[in-house]
Amino acid sequence: MSVGAFTKRVWQAALFTEIWDAMKVTFKHMFHRPITFQYPREQRTIPDTHRGALGLLRYDDGQERCVGCDLCEAACPSHCIKVISSEDKSLPLQRFASEFYIDITKCVFCGYCVEACPVNALAMTKMYEYSTHDKRTLLFDKKRLYDIGERHLTDAKKYLYAHGQEKEGQESREYRYFFPQSVIKPTQPPPKHLMKQVDEKSA
Amino acid sequence: MGLKPATNPEVEAKPIELTIDGRSVSASDGVSLYDVISSTGKIVPAMCYHYTFDPFGSCGMCLVMVEGKKAPVRSCTAKAAAGMIVRTEGDDLFQARKKAVEKHLSVHPLDCPVCDADGHCELQDMAFQHQVTNLANAKQKLIPEDTRSLVLDFNMNRCIACGECINVCKDVLMIDALQFMKKGGFNQVVAKGDQPLSCEFCGDCLAVCPVGAITNKFSKYLYKPWQLKKTTTTCNYCGDGCQMHVETKDREVVRVTSPLSWKNKWGDRSETAKGHGGICVRGRFGFEYIDSTARLQQPLMRRDGKLVEAPWLEAVHSVVDRLADIKAKHGPDAIAGLITARCTNEELYLFQKLMRVAIGTNQLDSSARYGHINFVRAAQQAVGVGRAMNDWEDLTKAKAILLVGSNLTETNPLTSVRVKDAIRIYKAQVIVVDSAQTNIARLASHPMMVKPGSEGVFVQGLVKSVIEQDLIDTEATAKYPKAFAVLQEAVAKLSFESITAATGIALDQIHEAASIFAEAPRAIILCAEGVVRRPAGYEKILSLMDLAWITGKLGRPGCGVTTVTEEINEQGAVDMGAAPEFLPGQAPITDAAARDRFAKAWGAELPAPEKGATLTEILKRCRNGQIKALYIVGENPLATLPKSMDVQAALKGLDLLVCQDLFLTETARFAHVVLPACSYAEKEGTFTNLEGKVLRIRQAMDPVGESLPDWHIMTAIASGLGCQLDYESPHDIQREIMKLLPGYYNLGQPRKPAPDPNKYLSNGYSAEVKARYQPQMEAMAATQAAKPFALALGQLLYHSGKLSTQAPGLITIAPNTGRLHMNAKDMERLGLTDGTKVRVTTAQGKLDVGVQADLAMLPGSCFFPEHFNEPPVKDLMAVEIDRHTGVPYFKFTSATIQKV
Repeated sequence: MSVGAFTKRVWQAALFTEIWDAMKVTFKHMFHRPITFQYPREQRTIPDTHRGALGLLRYDDGQERCVGCDLCEAACPSHCIKVISSEDKSLPLQRFASEFYIDITKCVFCGYCVEACPVNALAMTKMYEYSTHDKRTLLFDKKRLYDIGERHLTDAKKYLYAHGQEKEGQESREYRYFFPQSVIKPTQPPPKHLMKQVDEKSA
Repeated sequence: MGLKPATNPEVEAKPIELTIDGRSVSASDGVSLYDVISSTGKIVPAMCYHYTFDPFGSCGMCLVMVEGKKAPVRSCTAKAAAGMIVRTEGDDLFQARKKAVEKHLSVHPLDCPVCDADGHCELQDMAFQHQVTNLANAKQKLIPEDTRSLVLDFNMNRCIACGECINVCKDVLMIDALQFMKKGGFNQVVAKGDQPLSCEFCGDCLAVCPVGAITNKFSKYLYKPWQLKKTTTTCNYCGDGCQMHVETKDREVVRVTSPLSWKNKWGDRSETAKGHGGICVRGRFGFEYIDSTARLQQPLMRRDGKLVEAPWLEAVHSVVDRLADIKAKHGPDAIAGLITARCTNEELYLFQKLMRVAIGTNQLDSSARYGHINFVRAAQQAVGVGRAMNDWEDLTKAKAILLVGSNLTETNPLTSVRVKDAIRIYKAQVIVVDSAQTNIARLASHPMMVKPGSEGVFVQGLVKSVIEQDLIDTEATAKYPKAFAVLQEAVAKLSFESITAATGIALDQIHEAASIFAEAPRAIILCAEGVVRRPAGYEKILSLMDLAWITGKLGRPGCGVTTVTEEINEQGAVDMGAAPEFLPGQAPITDAAARDRFAKAWGAELPAPEKGATLTEILKRCRNGQIKALYIVGENPLATLPKSMDVQAALKGLDLLVCQDLFLTETARFAHVVLPACSYAEKEGTFTNLEGKVLRIRQAMDPVGESLPDWHIMTAIASGLGCQLDYESPHDIQREIMKLLPGYYNLGQPRKPAPDPNKYLSNGYSAEVKARYQPQMEAMAATQAAKPFALALGQLLYHSGKLSTQAPGLITIAPNTGRLHMNAKDMERLGLTDGTKVRVTTAQGKLDVGVQADLAMLPGSCFFPEHFNEPPVKDLMAVEIDRHTGVPYFKFTSATIQKV
């Protein structure tokens, strides 16, 4: 060891430079914006395209959008959706889902079901907090799905806008899927003989 | 039929040559060009075409270019001609077909997501195939759905006016219940006269509809085709044994579909002789009993006079212990068994083995005893063939069919379609001998409406007429001159006057019928419930055999004497030996060689033949206490037999009554132990249909509740009784049957029977004939004067036995009206209107019952469906037991009717 190097080491030992070096990082971080996110006290802003829990939507007048066509079930790659459809005898030609199950533990959040839905009844929300002690509660039934849809309605709509499935600003009523539906204008008012019954029902 | 001469063997078509896509093809002259193209294996799209009926030409998809023509032509309605040069592919044709699809789609509601046909829709397929993405001028029909029909909904918005439903109904089934009607500017399919649909409800229109315009009410909106598990199986209602697809979702049956559909539209019409693939109302809409909530879920045991649920182990232990106890105390002949012919062959075989080997009694019988055994025994006796001699193909291709006592359309709908084929395609002469204006009688060329109960006399008249008109086949009679002389002598005693008086048929009509039958190159006699289930059934069948013999129809291809069965496996029940007189393979139980063979195979002594008992004998022995225990599998004698048989007393006197059934039947309510069995959709096995075909049934779903297949229960009981059977599946039983009856499972194709009357005509014929051809008119006339009405119990189209009354779909179509069907004129004469109560009096008692007019009834006859016991009309019936075969006849009696 040369004299110069020895002298440097003595100096460093006397002035605790290693500690000062380490403290430099610490003091630097005192003036940084913190990187650690204080979840759950703090919540992150989530983009509109986020694929969170699925919810079922209603039209503005409160009627269920879902017509029980089973297409989401067919589109689902992980087979987590089960739809049991039946006939709504009060309306002509009305099909609806009498039961609807999504096993969210199996769901891979691909969003295919939303894409497949012809009436935009399904949408993904920004909800991702559903941890539970009982795994069985993660089989979402129809009621739970409509609850999610209701609670996260704005998010769900934003999801549909972001994915180009609905246009912002338009009334959901205009998206209503009437059967038989015209092919010229998907947003035209429903046929008269159906309109009457729809009104009666909503009234 | 102009377009399809090639399928009719009676028409010789000139062979021609034409060029299709550069390939030379040979065909028959005048055949539809579409058929010629499809015979080369090319598939040209067509939405309104189905091979079972004539081309209709409305969809405009089957376009081809024919050289010399400027525009594309519709190949289905174009006739093939010599030297035609045809092109089936090319961009111009693609564009022309695309235009046709667009034309259909422009008035089609694009409601695929909610349509039941979604994924099984020809229009959808075509739109995809032809890449139709946008429609320029689309409009809506906005027709409200027609939901008036009981089973089908007509959504005419979706209709593409292909006319397949109308054509199949008119051409194939000859029902003609649908028509086109211009309504609201569109051609719509409506029921005849725009009334609610009222037809046979076979649902073949539903099957051929290429879109979702006709939907099934019982499964509407409940499924998408891809969600269903499709199991090909055999229908378990009547003896036709139709193949069908049971479609299930989880634990419920969603719908039943037929092999007939728009998807299999290519074929040769001659193939339809083996069945056009359709099914009837019972098969298609009578499936709901399978997953009915009324099904038994658990074994029941009687405790303190009540049936309470018990675990399987306990129930079977109790059955085994009590059977063993009774056997030890009173001997094996204190135990008897009855089984239904709706069980599979394997189960029937196992049942008789259980009774004969494990228990050691010959007191066993099946529901074939209600009639079919008459035919089997008579045919065995006369020609040595214990089953129907003809199959469906023979029926279709026959030139003359003599239907005796058969309401074929109602009892065996698909066999009747084969007769309709014969009438329509092969121009057969059909003689219907019956005492009701049935559907088949209306279609027949020679309906012979005989007086009730005189079918036998009419047949004797035919025999006499054949002999007197010298229509006999000398080749057949010359072999047995002695027998023929006896027959001639016996017939000579009958007089035509008395025959015409008894039957009410004019003499020249009898002569005409006889000459049509005798002169036809292929003639078939079909006898059914009006013969085999009515008094002297056995003798009547032998008379029919006489008729077939002297006209030379025995043993000639395409001729014969045939029957139909009411329950699917009546033939199998006899073949499997579930009858006291037969061992498996219809070997007589008295036959020492057969006894030895089976005793060796089963490793046990067989019970003595003389101790055997038929159904009625078993009930009698139950009543007098000889039989202490009765094991009933699927049978319901209490609800079937009239009160005078005193079944209730017989059941009450038993120490042990074990019922094994799907439902808690009337009989099962008296049982000490009730064991829940599986329906045909929950087990594997085989049925033997009326043609003698062995047909497979396949498991479509898991057993309901804790129910078990019958074979499983019987194996357990037999093993418990010390007869170790180690069957693990029906296939093990099948293997044993295959060893014992080689050739029985002949890949579904039965061997053609070879009827041989030699044994019968050479021995013992003379004595029997004399007794058979006795004039019996006086007795008949006497009863007719005292009791002018003939009261008959019979089957409805919409029901089969008691089983179908558990199917809500069929009950919707045909509920129990509780009314006696009567002729309208009779009602007028007695001053009755629909619903008026009348008092029906027979020798057995009297009953007040409402009436309804029925167009099928002839004056002097009335009818009540045998499926319903409310009101108990069956209790009015007298029971007569056949002295040859022990068949209880209780479907026919005479009565007086008065207004209350």
